[in-house]
Amino acid sequence: MSPNFRFSKALAVLAGATLALTACGGGGASTSANSAGGGTVTYWSMWKVGEPQQKVMANAIADFEKQTGTKVDVQWQGRTNTKKIIPALNTNNVPDIIDGSESNLDIALGSTGQALPMTDAYNTMIDGKKLSELIPAKFLAVNNIKGKDGQPWMVPYSLTSDAVWFNAEKNPDLVTNPPASWTDFISLLDKQKAAGQAPIAADADIAGYNAYWFVSALVHSEGPGAFAKITADKTGAGWDSPAVMAAAKTVQQLVDNGYMIKGYNASKWPAQQQAWATGGADLLFNGSWIPTETGTYAAPGFKYASFPYPSVAGKPAMARADFTGFAVPKKAKNAAGAQQLAAFLMGKKYQDAEGTDAKVLPVRADAAIAPELTSVKKAIDNAKEIYMGNDGVTTAGYMEKNFNPTDDLLFTGKIDAGEFVSQMKEKTIAYWKAQG
Amino acid sequence: MSASTLKRTRRNPAPALKPEQGRGGSSIERQRRKLLVPFVGPAFLFYTVLFIVPAIAAVWISLNEWAGSGPMTFVGFKNYIQVFQDPLFVKSFGNTLLLLFVVGAAIFILAFAMTLVLRDMAAKKIARNVIFFPHLINALVFGILAGFIFNPGGMVNSLLKPLGVTEPPAWLAQDNIFPLIMATMVLTTTGYFTTIIMAGVDRIPPYFYEDCALAGATALQRLRYVILPLTWDVFGTCAVLWTISSVKIFEIIWVFGGSSGAGLPPTQTWSVAVYTYVTAFSGMSTPAYGAATASAIISLALVTVLVVLLRRAMRRDAIEF
Repeated sequence: MSPNFRFSKALAVLAGATLALTACGGGGASTSANSAGGGTVTYWSMWKVGEPQQKVMANAIADFEKQTGTKVDVQWQGRTNTKKIIPALNTNNVPDIIDGSESNLDIALGSTGQALPMTDAYNTMIDGKKLSELIPAKFLAVNNIKGKDGQPWMVPYSLTSDAVWFNAEKNPDLVTNPPASWTDFISLLDKQKAAGQAPIAADADIAGYNAYWFVSALVHSEGPGAFAKITADKTGAGWDSPAVMAAAKTVQQLVDNGYMIKGYNASKWPAQQQAWATGGADLLFNGSWIPTETGTYAAPGFKYASFPYPSVAGKPAMARADFTGFAVPKKAKNAAGAQQLAAFLMGKKYQDAEGTDAKVLPVRADAAIAPELTSVKKAIDNAKEIYMGNDGVTTAGYMEKNFNPTDDLLFTGKIDAGEFVSQMKEKTIAYWKAQG
Repeated sequence: MSASTLKRTRRNPAPALKPEQGRGGSSIERQRRKLLVPFVGPAFLFYTVLFIVPAIAAVWISLNEWAGSGPMTFVGFKNYIQVFQDPLFVKSFGNTLLLLFVVGAAIFILAFAMTLVLRDMAAKKIARNVIFFPHLINALVFGILAGFIFNPGGMVNSLLKPLGVTEPPAWLAQDNIFPLIMATMVLTTTGYFTTIIMAGVDRIPPYFYEDCALAGATALQRLRYVILPLTWDVFGTCAVLWTISSVKIFEIIWVFGGSSGAGLPPTQTWSVAVYTYVTAFSGMSTPAYGAATASAIISLALVTVLVVLLRRAMRRDAIEF
């Protein structure tokens, strides 16, 4: 075989590959060209075809098209939509409207000043009231959806929250008499353990779930923003506070006292939440999506109920609430149509559908709700103060590279509360030093 | 080379034989030069647009602080310093090297061992397909399978129970996942390289083996004196292929930990590729594109250096046969 022959063969392969690549490029370009045009709103949805929320959204969009004559070009992209939009913002192929969780939208649009103020949407009259009056003010107090100009850049349509879930069929007492404090909670766990039952199920491979325990403990004792404050303290001194140590000790207590289901530290999600849904453990501290997520495999007759994370005496009632909603990029071609769509979807009819068909927590306080979520809704309605997941910390890399790995060690019993606090102090100082 | 060129010119008389006066080089050289632009041009253009320009852009981004959109701030080498000072990056870098060298060594030792066995085996075609098969399976399947096999209520523990093991090891504990990933990499990749090396071995004329048999050489001697020297270039290519692909290992780590891709894998298992991805696209915090590209450029540099060293170390005169 001569090198000559080899070279031309390589060239042929390369040419073929290049052709294949250009073919792909051509295809992509032609589809994006279709989306531009008068009276059309391009919507990158966080829902995928077939999901209950997608069905609710699709019905609402059909109504919107009928009533306004505006065409909505929907792409059901799924949760990666907020990742895809970041590079897209540097091009001209930008959707008119996009939805996602507040933190994801904040990362993609809000914090970088790429989101348009939703003033028009908030001034739209919905069911005889301005939209701004339909969203409870306490949500807006913490969920920071205001841009530098003081105008909100997001219209939230649903909430996610968390709760300690249980089967009301098996534990009817907990419905009427949930634990009122951490001490009550611990004695409940002791009782369950004595009865030969695993008290708590957890999939410790999901760091985000593990973090609920420490963050909730700290926020409930020190108030919303307490965790965010210690993570932002460049000297790391925030971690020295006795309240932080006490919060870490509550997590250590769960591990030391053996309340966790066997193998929680060595499983792949959703193994342990499955075990919980089939009666392998009594309690599961997780999100408001648990009834829909575990519904397909729960034991027959499983009746979803929940109680909030135990409150601390002398502190106001608190609940976690994270927004899911719409934002419009500044580069949107049909921003007016997009704002109109966002406001339209806040009609009672569609909010009810979110509550009863999609079984999520609608933002409007007057919306209907699925029976599984009434306990969570009650906790949110009663809450005097609202806090966000991870207490709203989205500083680049802090949670995923520093807090979560260390908190995982605490939650799986590899380190104790003291070691956790000193490691976190060290990591916080190093983190801020590296940020410069 | 000259012989084959001559042969070709004789076979292809029309334009090539017409000698042109006054200009340098043979007609074939000129012909080749003429073809260079139409043949290489398009490929070169696309290669430049799709690879070289983005690579240069990445170098530029790595010198800036940038959230992916919005304003960019030039910070010089700060991202590189930050990345090197991050113990997590150092750990990820170490994991990448473990994959490259430890898994690589295991793969090639096994591949050569199998080559020895497979050559003389009956039904070797079927055996080859069976060995190659794991390479065709999506890494996601292994991620899910690991859960099925090693979960606390999974297959292994169910099998151990009747044997009286009531406290089985925590198979999927965070510290155990990386060794599991390494084992899976060996399982899936060995077949691939065995197939390539086997193709090289099949080219070796049978009379060399007959010679070996007559001389009473053992299997290992055969490997050392016949197979290795005659497949050296194939092996060199495989080593380069492995180096490049191992530095990019990502999806298997992503699906093994962190609930098959729903969350982030535990940091104990991160490779440089995972570190890069999380830094830019974790979805949990403001993207740090500058630090992410800095980490990507570092791994690009690693690949380049290793490939150059490898080519140098593997350089031998090709044996014609």
